[in-house]
Amino acid sequence: MTARTIKVDLLARVEGEGALDLHVRNGKVTRAHLRIFEPPRLFEAMLRGRGFTEAPDITARICGICPVAYQMSSVHAMEDACGVRIDGPIRLLRRLLYCGEWIESHTLHVAMLHAPDFLGYPDAIQMARDHGDLVRRALALKKIGNGIMRLLGGREIHPVNVRVGGFYRVPRKAELLTLLEDLKQGRDNAVTLLRWVATFDFPDLEQDYEFVSLRHGSEYPLNEGRIISSRDVDIAAADFDTEFEERHVAHSTALHAVLKRRGAYLVGPMARLALNFDCLSPDLRGLAREVGLDLVCRNPFRSIMVRALEVVWACEEAMRLIEAYDMPDRPFEPMTPRPGVGFGCTEAPRGMLWHRYEIDAEGSIVDARIVPPTSQNQPSIEGDLRATAEKSLHLPDDGLRHLCEQTIRNYDPCISCSCHFLNLTVHRA
Amino acid sequence: MTCVGADPPAAPSIVIVGLGNRDRGDDGVGPAVADRLAGTLPPHVRVIRMNGDALALIDTWADTEAAIVVDAAVSGAKPGHVLRIDAVADELPTHLALSSTHSFGLVDAIALARVLDRLPPALVIYAIEAATFDAGTPITDAVSRAVPMVVERIKGDLRALWQIQTEGVTHA
Repeated sequence: MTARTIKVDLLARVEGEGALDLHVRNGKVTRAHLRIFEPPRLFEAMLRGRGFTEAPDITARICGICPVAYQMSSVHAMEDACGVRIDGPIRLLRRLLYCGEWIESHTLHVAMLHAPDFLGYPDAIQMARDHGDLVRRALALKKIGNGIMRLLGGREIHPVNVRVGGFYRVPRKAELLTLLEDLKQGRDNAVTLLRWVATFDFPDLEQDYEFVSLRHGSEYPLNEGRIISSRDVDIAAADFDTEFEERHVAHSTALHAVLKRRGAYLVGPMARLALNFDCLSPDLRGLAREVGLDLVCRNPFRSIMVRALEVVWACEEAMRLIEAYDMPDRPFEPMTPRPGVGFGCTEAPRGMLWHRYEIDAEGSIVDARIVPPTSQNQPSIEGDLRATAEKSLHLPDDGLRHLCEQTIRNYDPCISCSCHFLNLTVHRA
Repeated sequence: MTCVGADPPAAPSIVIVGLGNRDRGDDGVGPAVADRLAGTLPPHVRVIRMNGDALALIDTWADTEAAIVVDAAVSGAKPGHVLRIDAVADELPTHLALSSTHSFGLVDAIALARVLDRLPPALVIYAIEAATFDAGTPITDAVSRAVPMVVERIKGDLRALWQIQTEGVTHA
């Protein structure tokens, strides 16, 4: 019996740091562990004792890529705790801000981080030598996402304009209309990007995921809805603990979230699309059909196509929201704290992001829990790695390493959020 | 606002970017340099502080005549050591790691812009050797001492290369 070890010091093109241990014995993968060594972030502990209005600004710091997701889940949770529901133009602006984050985050991952895997380039810079037009389109798209974030959030990274109850300042309609022309162009660029990634060769892998996402019913899910699954889960955000639990695993500083009754599940673009296809516009359904996304997609490598489709959706939704916008009389609803518990669950680009806060009569945070998407997907990532590696053990170490990295990038994992990510060690015996 | 000695309208559009995260020790040195320059230069010289996404630099320097970027670096030199690089004429030194905790740092942004023909006509990098990027720590003394020196060198560049007046200009 021979033993082989493959080591990658640091996985590139993901957000955060961690490692993968792959153990192979007699042609079988006996262990596929993501070892997360990004230091624990301790945000939940840090939130205790802070005012309920501070949660959106503190939690936005968890991630530089998806700060809006943290702000949205936290403001919804605090408003839930205060017994206030926000509707009308404020709700609309929140969706628009979220569209900006989806456009920016998805485009970065699709074009700059993930596409090089499929085309055999080490990075986007090398890829740009041969696919400059696509990279220019992607940069233009990303700029639109940044523009929405800057206008509504005050700045692109860690927006500062979101508050419990609404915004510190809301834009005039004329300001939003300045985004429309770029968004029309952006929508075209996103369609081009989708058609391009649809031509890639995808490794053959079908996984029997249990998909989990929000479902609103008439809107593609973003900032509200029930938590449903492709099997039988259908619960309010407040009932998360009845179906899901977080477990500590020795090899990771991030908790693993599992379905209590069945184990691993999948959140993110593939889950959203599978559970909400009917909420897309007829045009978008046609586009999905054109690229083969009308049937439920269970190949994680094809998630790049679903992300690109969601960028088209986000551009269209942003245009619809801008046209429907009327500036509200005041930028936020005043909020009076009361002792209690509030829940917020929204769809971050990478998947469902669940927050729970307990506050006291003065509005001080007594307890905080945050379940980010990458924690929820970590068991599925390991399942995919096991399945992919087992089918590909004939590959030399370099090839196997690349395939494993690509498998992990299928998830656009945000290690900084979940405290995880990647060296790769393959032990073959 | 008072603005004394502004150049005529045809003056070149220039952007100065302080890149870095103020919450990560010496990574804040880029924004610290930008702080010193803000409000002291003519209006056609924009001073910007950026945190994180270096890819956005490609848009930031679009349509400018020149860009000057200040960033923290790790090259093995003494903390506070300043390296000035002409990024249009020269490839960046391979031993130089310009700091980024994200997937795209300054080096990547420059390389990508070069491939896409999106570099400005002039691009100067001031790479200041950092000692620590620990979360929540201030800029270390050695790196702080480099700040006024880099400010003066940038003003020197503006005067020598683009004949821009850098004295007696104040903004409220």
